[in-house]
Parts: sequence; C-alpha cells; structure tokens
Amino acid sequence: MKFIIQRDQLMESVQNVMKAISSRTTIPILTGMKIEANENGIKLTGSDSDISIESFIPKEEDGIEYVEQIEPGSIVLQAKYFPDIVKKLPQKTVEIESEGLQVTIRSGSAEFHLNGQDAEEYPQLPQLHTEDSFEIPTDLLKNLIKQTVFAVSAVETRPILTGVNMKLEDNYLNFVATDSHRLAARKIPLEVDTTNMTFSSVVIPGKSLNELNKILEDTQENIEISVTENQILFRTRHLYFLSRLLDGNYPETSRLIPEQSKTVVHSPTKELLQSIDRASLLAKESRNNVVRLSAKENNQLEISSNSPEVGNVMEEINVNSIEGEELKISFSAKYMMDALKAVENDQVRIEFTGAMRPFIIRPIDNDQILQLILPVRTY
Amino acid sequence: MSKWYPKNGRVIFHVDMNSFYASVEMAYNPKLKGKPVAIAGNPEERKGIIVTSSYEARAKGVKTTMPLWEARKLCPDLVVMRPNFDRYRFASSEMFKILSEVTTFVQPVSIDEGYMDITACQHLGSPLDIAASIQQRIKDELDLPCSIGIAPNKFLAKMASDMRKPMGITVLRKRDLPKKLWPLPVKEMHGVGEKTAIKLNKIDIYTIKDLADADTFQLKRLLGINGERLKDRANGIDSTPVDPDAIYEFKSIGNSQTLAHDTTDELTIQRLMRQLARKVATRLKRKQVVGQNVQLMIRYYDRKTVTRSVKLPEYIETEEEIYITSLDLFENHWTGDPIRLLGVTVQDIVEKDEIVHQLDLFTYQKEAEKEPLYQAIDHLTEKYGKNPFKKIEPKSDDQPRTSFQKDFLDDFKK
Amino acid sequence: MKTWSDMSQVQPLVAKMLMNSIAKDRISHAYLFHGTKGTGKYELSLLLAKTIFCQNRESTEPCHKCVDCHRIDSGNHPDVHQIIPEGQSIKKEQILHLQKEFRYTGMESNRKVYIIKDADKMTGNASNRLLKFLEEPSKLTTAILLTENSQSILQTIRSRCQIMSLKPLNPTNIKKRLEQEGLSSSNATLVAALTNEVTEGLEISKDEWFANARKLVVQLIEVLQEKPNEALLFIHNQWMQHFKDREQLQRGLDLLLIWFKDIIYKQVDHENAIIFISEMERLDKSSMLWSRKQVTNTLGEIMEAKRKLDQNVNPALVMEQLTLHIQR
Repeated sequence: MKFIIQRDQLMESVQNVMKAISSRTTIPILTGMKIEANENGIKLTGSDSDISIESFIPKEEDGIEYVEQIEPGSIVLQAKYFPDIVKKLPQKTVEIESEGLQVTIRSGSAEFHLNGQDAEEYPQLPQLHTEDSFEIPTDLLKNLIKQTVFAVSAVETRPILTGVNMKLEDNYLNFVATDSHRLAARKIPLEVDTTNMTFSSVVIPGKSLNELNKILEDTQENIEISVTENQILFRTRHLYFLSRLLDGNYPETSRLIPEQSKTVVHSPTKELLQSIDRASLLAKESRNNVVRLSAKENNQLEISSNSPEVGNVMEEINVNSIEGEELKISFSAKYMMDALKAVENDQVRIEFTGAMRPFIIRPIDNDQILQLILPVRTY
Repeated sequence: MSKWYPKNGRVIFHVDMNSFYASVEMAYNPKLKGKPVAIAGNPEERKGIIVTSSYEARAKGVKTTMPLWEARKLCPDLVVMRPNFDRYRFASSEMFKILSEVTTFVQPVSIDEGYMDITACQHLGSPLDIAASIQQRIKDELDLPCSIGIAPNKFLAKMASDMRKPMGITVLRKRDLPKKLWPLPVKEMHGVGEKTAIKLNKIDIYTIKDLADADTFQLKRLLGINGERLKDRANGIDSTPVDPDAIYEFKSIGNSQTLAHDTTDELTIQRLMRQLARKVATRLKRKQVVGQNVQLMIRYYDRKTVTRSVKLPEYIETEEEIYITSLDLFENHWTGDPIRLLGVTVQDIVEKDEIVHQLDLFTYQKEAEKEPLYQAIDHLTEKYGKNPFKKIEPKSDDQPRTSFQKDFLDDFKK
Repeated sequence: MKTWSDMSQVQPLVAKMLMNSIAKDRISHAYLFHGTKGTGKYELSLLLAKTIFCQNRESTEPCHKCVDCHRIDSGNHPDVHQIIPEGQSIKKEQILHLQKEFRYTGMESNRKVYIIKDADKMTGNASNRLLKFLEEPSKLTTAILLTENSQSILQTIRSRCQIMSLKPLNPTNIKKRLEQEGLSSSNATLVAALTNEVTEGLEISKDEWFANARKLVVQLIEVLQEKPNEALLFIHNQWMQHFKDREQLQRGLDLLLIWFKDIIYKQVDHENAIIFISEMERLDKSSMLWSRKQVTNTLGEIMEAKRKLDQNVNPALVMEQLTLHIQR
C-alpha cells in the first residue's frame, strides 16, 4: 500500500474515526485504526465494536486532488500513536507506505516507522445496501434524535429501554424512547415507499445516537440510513457511522398512551417552562424534583413545590385555555422541562386524564411530536 | 449588659451532663450518692462492658468500655446497674426543655450534651449569669450535675466545658487560647481521635499549639480536608452554626459485627450479612425512613478495612433489598482473604413521608384503579389536615442494641 | 491449532458427540466442558467456535485458514467473546462486558460464541447473570463454559448446559503430545508412563531432579547386579539423599517398577512395550541376570514398598527392606 495525501484532510478524517476508538476494548485489534487505499481514495476505520466510524477521503473532489500515487492495500495502525504523528508532521503532504506489516510515514524530512497489524484481523463491517435504505435531511435526523434520546433508560433493569425504537410504519419514520417514567416520540413522513424494506423495527442504543448526533453537522444535506440484521448504517457524503443494535423486542407502547382526555390545557411553552423551572428550585432532588400543577378556573395554572426544610414556592400563570375537569397532579419537574424543550413550538397542548395517569404534551396543531409523562403519587 | 456580648461575634454554650447515666441513677436513688456506680451493658455476663460510671468509680480507675471483671478488680465495691433507658430519655428531654426555655437555638448532639447560641439573649443577663442559672436549674429541678463551656464558637465551647468537671463553668475566649488551649496535648482536642493523634505525632505535632502553627499543606496531605479544619479549630476558628435540626439529619443507619473466627466461608458470611441486613431494616422501619445508598464495610484478618458503596436508582427499606445489594457489593469487592468483620450501612436516608412514588408506564393502570381512593384521602386531608388514614406503624418493642444514644435523640422534643 | 481429527484421537467420545451435532446442525446453546488440566477443553472450545464461524468448512472440519479461523486463534474475532478470569475470580468488568454483549446484536452477524474459562471461578452474582441469559437463549448464540471442577458450578447452570466430560489422556496420546512439544521419543515414552497429564509431563521432563532420579535408578540396578553388598550403602548415601520425601520416593519406585516390567517385556520379546527404550543394552544385561521368577517377586516387593509408604512407614526402612528382598 502506498499513497501521498493532504495532511489536513487526513487529520480531519483521523479525528473523526478516533471518536469511535477506545483503549478499553476486549478485542485487541480494535485499539488500532484501519487504513485502506484503493483507486478511489483512502478509507479510515475506527471502532469500539458498539459503534464504528468510517471516513472516506476521495482521490479527488470538485477538481481538487487530495490523494495521489495510490497503490492499493490496507493495514491497521496503533491508534495510540498515529493521530499525534499526523498532527505534528512538518509538511502539508504525507506519504504513507507499507511493506508487509512495516509502515513508513514520511513528511518532508521526517520519517516514522511503525509496526502495523494485518488488516485481515479487523472486523468486517456490513456494507450499505441501497435498495434497503432511505434518506432524510441530516438536520431532521438530528432533531429526531434530540427529541427522543433523552428519554431512554439510564439503568439496565430493562436493557431494551436503553435504546431508541426506530420504526417504519405506513411510510412514516417513527422514533420512540421511554425509560418507563416518560416517553418521547417523534415521527416524520418519508418520501420513499418503505413497504418493501426488509426491516420495520429496530432498537438503536441511546449511547450510539448521542455519539451520532455529536458527529453530524447541522446541514440540510441528506443522510442515508440502512439496516442490516445486526447493524444500522448512517451515511453522509464521506462519513459512515455504524452502530450495533439492541437485541430483543421493544415493548408495544402505543396502547399505553391514553386516547381520551379529561382536562386539556393550552399554554405558552416558554412561560410554563420557566415557571416549572422556578418551582423546581425548591423541589428536593430526593423527591425527583417534584412539582405540583393545579388547573384552576379563569385559565389559571398554579405551579407549586414544597420542601419541608427549605420552604415552598407557588406561582400562578395565565394560560390560553383550560377545558374539562379540575385537576391536581404532581410530576417530576425535570421530565416536564425535558419534554417542553423537545416540543419545538411556542404553544403547547397538554392533555390530562387524571392524577394517576400519564399526560401528553404536544405542540399545538402538530401530532408528529409526542411527549408523555407519568405523574408521581405523593404519600 | 451588652458589654458582655461581642459586637460581631457569637456567644455559644456547650452544656455537658456529668457522668449522665450514673447521675440519673443517683437522682432516682439518692442512697447511691457518693458511691462508685457503673452502668454496664450486661452486668450478669462476664463480657459485659462499662458504658459509663460515676466520678467516684472513675477515681478508682474505672473507665468506659472497660470489661466488667476488670472494673470490679479495680473497685471491688462497685455498684453495677443495667441501663434504664426510659429514665435517661426522660431526664434528657427535661434537661433540653430547660435549655430551650432560654433560647430556641439549642442543638442536641447526644442524649447528654448540646450547644446553645445565646447571642440574642442579652436581655437575660451576662453569659456567665445565664450559664449559672441553667446549671442551677438543672441541679435543683433534676438533681443532675453539668458543666458549661462559654466561647465564641462551638468548638471552643466544647473544649471549655471539658476543662472543669463536674459542675464547672468555663469561659474560653480567643485571647485565652495561648494559656488555656494551646499547651494541651493534641489528642485532648475535640475531633482528634487516637489514630489522628498518632499521625500528627509522627510529623512532630504534640500540642494544640503545634497544630495551630502547622503547615496547612502538610496537614492536608496527612488528613485531607479535615487537616485544614483541625488547624482552624486549633486557632479558635469554627464557624459552624448551632443547628437545632441537625440531629434529625441522621444520614445513615448501619450495623456491623465481628465474626467468631476469621473466615472465608461464603455461607457464614452470607448468614452474617443477612443478620446485619435484618437489623438495619428493623431500625429503618422504626424510624420510618428509607435510603438510597448501601455501604458495605469489610475488615480483613489483618485489620485492613475497605468500604464500598453503591447508589441505587430507588429507595430501599426491606431486609431483602438491603441483603441483595450488600451481597452484590461483597461479591464485587471481596479479595477472597479471610474476613474478620462486616458492616452494612444504609445511607442517603430520607423520611418516608418525603418520598414520592414515580408511576411507571407499564404498570400505572393497576395503580390508577386506586385513584378514587387517593382522591378521597386528598380531599379529607385538605379538610382535616395531614392524612388521617396514614398507616400507623406498630411501635416495635425491640430495644436497639447499638448506637442507642442516637436512637434516643429521635424521641427528643416529640 | 487442533483439528477434529486430532480431537478424535485425544477425546474420541466428546469429539464424536460434537461432530455429530455439528453435522446435524444441532449445536447446543450452552456447553459445559469439564475435565482435568491438559485434557484440551480450551482447544476444543476454539475448535468448536471455528467450526461455527468458518466459511469454508468441509463437513465438520473448519479450514483453519480463513479470516474467521485466524481471528478466533488471535483473539480478534469480534463475535467470539472470551472471558478469562484475572486472578482469583472473574471480575466485575468482565461480567458487565458479558452482560452488555448479551443485550447487543453481533458485530459481523448475529452469530455469537462466548467462551468462559474456569467457569467455576464465577461469583454467585456472575453466575446468576449468566443463568438469566441461559434461561432465554437466543437462537444464534453458543456459550461454552470450561471447568476443571463442574461440581462448583451452580446446579441450575449445569442443568441448562450440555455437559461434556473430557477424559484424561491415554499414554500413547500423551506421548504424542509430549513429542509435539519437543520431547525426545525416549523421554516422552518414560514421562507418559508416569503421568496422564500433558502439562505435568512437560514439567517433569524439564526438571533436573527427574533427570537425576532416572540416573539413580539405573545406578541402583547396576549396584544390585554388580556389588550387591554395597546396595544398602548406596541407598543411604545416594538414594535417600535424592528422594527426600514420600512423594519423591514414590516416583523413584515407579521408575524402578517400570525397569523391572521392561525386563519382563525383554524376556518375553515384547520389545514394543518397553519404556526405557534408551537403556536397551542395560536392559539386555538385566534380562540375562534376573530370572523371570525373581523379577515377578521383585515387582511384588516394589508394590508392597509403595503400599507401605502410603501407610506412613519410615521411608528409609521401606527402602532398606526392599533392597534386602531384591538382593536375594
């Protein structure tokens, strides 16, 4: 293998794939970074087995040549040294050449010799199947993630709940996450027909989606998503992000979501959020930051919280409308704030069905975002 | 009168009952006065130990925690009594009543001592007058001796009350430090235990003066943040307030026990762990509290001791929950060496009243069926005050065997 | 690198059972391989893993050359998870890792193999977690537990595993294994006669003490043959100095026993069975000097001496008596 590459391009790719490499892996080869050269360009791969990132540097793009003198081949280099070496090289171009498992890195007068490992030892990552994939704008995917992933379970009592359920249903893409105390769901219509796709429901680890969200840029360019039996692939122009899936069936949640409501509140999002935030200041953490909400007459909501040692706080806010029965309900301020922040609209509709039943928060006139919260029972 | 009170500082009392249990017994039975009296955990058994003793007994060398047989050897006419918890509890609460008539800023630290902040009591007279009247009232009304320390902060007040016993009143001002406090050996200092004293001696700190002058950095390295705190105290600095509610913030409940033999036998260990979990669960229940953290202490045959704890997602209270969690900790941290002692402690404790129950998406329907009942309770609560249907826990009659002093305190002021 | 045909030599029964289930595509979700040290549990687990993953398998035999086989050997296969105890027990992180793996799909496919070495070293906690997993096995997962002591494994776990008992090796196989490890044929033959355990055999053969013991046995025979009167002196001055405790003396007697058995083989022209193959000349000589009856008696005496040693009779006394009996 041999090629000469622009150092800046190489560095950017190296930094991207490094996000997947962990020194604490049980598979020795994964402490390394795989470098592959073929006539189209250079591909770098890093993985901690849970997620894998591939970054591609094309031979040339938009008339700019990034890589030259390519002799195809592949090798795995120790990720502990390689990035620092690239960063500190003196010239704008780098020549990388391997002879057996010996790798030489040249830039200007600097010359490094590193021992590589056989690329055959590296895990073989699934390839993208275009016929089984669909595309959505990257910034929309980021929104889907942000609006749901915070609700995954942080504990392992029900492992499947540590992931986000991604479903394809009636040409809608649906993300659902719940830690069993609250649920966040978001769906978007897809432009392609998905009925022929081989998968309909997978569970993606919340950790992986958080990583993906970090690595994706906020752009309207499309991202391609495809699913194999054991991994999910996200592909942008030069970046592949792969994640293993959670094994098992995601619980059916739709029937747990109340369909009727007894009390409906329309409220400005920001005012409600700020009021909850203030009330939570005095809510003790040991009580899950519980605040109490009472729906009163004259479109008044009373938000209150009481902490025996610290004091109490009570605030009335004017909302647009309150319809239905009177209601007093207590819930975690944190869950409520997470939900209100995810709603993405300055007006929300909150539907209650009783103090002991889940309530639903949606942006006004939009059914694609759904936030559901289970109340607490106070003794 | 204001001349007795500092412009910017505080006036703190430390009231310390003198050989409290023995004194209470003497108050109940005046014939005992002047005799060497000792309270022992279990007078019938040879292995009983002295819990406390009168000054007459102390004069003969009887000391707290000394085995009974040894005390009898030193003092053959020793009158040994079982503790009468009800009497002490009663005397203690009467004593604190007297203190709280002077000011509401009373912080009980144990059954027989407490701090008072009398900064705002100028109308009652000089601090010395107030102290004398408290001492007199406790003597007259309860027939009990006490010593009182007067100082600008809690630490100095505590040191002062120790300086004259019994029935002493000692003022310790900052300007008195060089004469009264600094010459004392460092192990006499409140907050310096035997182990700490040995550590300090190793870096040539023998007196409180040495500690006051010691290098902060070196102390920190030796004792952590506690090192800095001790140095401040040696310099007469202690800003902690008198907090009347401090005793209610017991943050942990734990039990520990030494094994009959050092062992690696998992069955024996599990049995002991089960016992400890049961004891802790009983005490949690009696106090109507639950905890969110479990700490396990393992002491090995060579006295090497490790503590490991885990924070749980939910509050726990039952024997089973405590047992399972400690066993988990044990299996994750046991080195396999022979074990001498195990301790199980539940931490991050809160009163049950304060807990809320987060409903679960997959089970809420079951709970929601009870909604009308809860609504009715809420309704009545609003009408008649705090939950009239609250389950009344049967008063358990098992007398706590360990840390009974602290358990008493829960009852104070109820 | 072991193949199924190797394994059929070493562990015929277990190999046959496993090969059958592979051929019928009925690989179990959980196996428990138990057997003493050196019986090939770990090799067998790797072989099974390769058989499961190898793309170029021919009937039951993996190719041992493809990337899957290679990576199983090097520990780099991302879907073969090996849990090997660090020190006294299997550590918390290892169990956490295992638990995570149970929940995740595989990396290259959903086929996964877990190999848990010294499974008896799992803590109760770890065992319970494993049990939970074994209770709801996924179709494509195989767990292989290895242990020298299956009784220390939770009954509930054992009952969910197919248990494979690996037999201690027979001398011919041990000899072969020892030769593969680089021992000379004569040494391998002798060591294989003394132990049925390859690792122990290797230790013995590297031991200087053993080399000297071997020399002393030959010398004792010569003394007995040439200068019988000095035999007792030899026992005191040389023999007892070397064979210091009962265990060592037992080994010395074992070697003596082998020598006299060899004499019989020599006398009946059954030379293939001879163990001291490097001492043919001396054996030749011995077989002339000792009558068949004398040899048979001597064998009985050596057995008797061994028995007495077990009964805690004074070792020096046992050796003296034995020498006097052989002299006759």
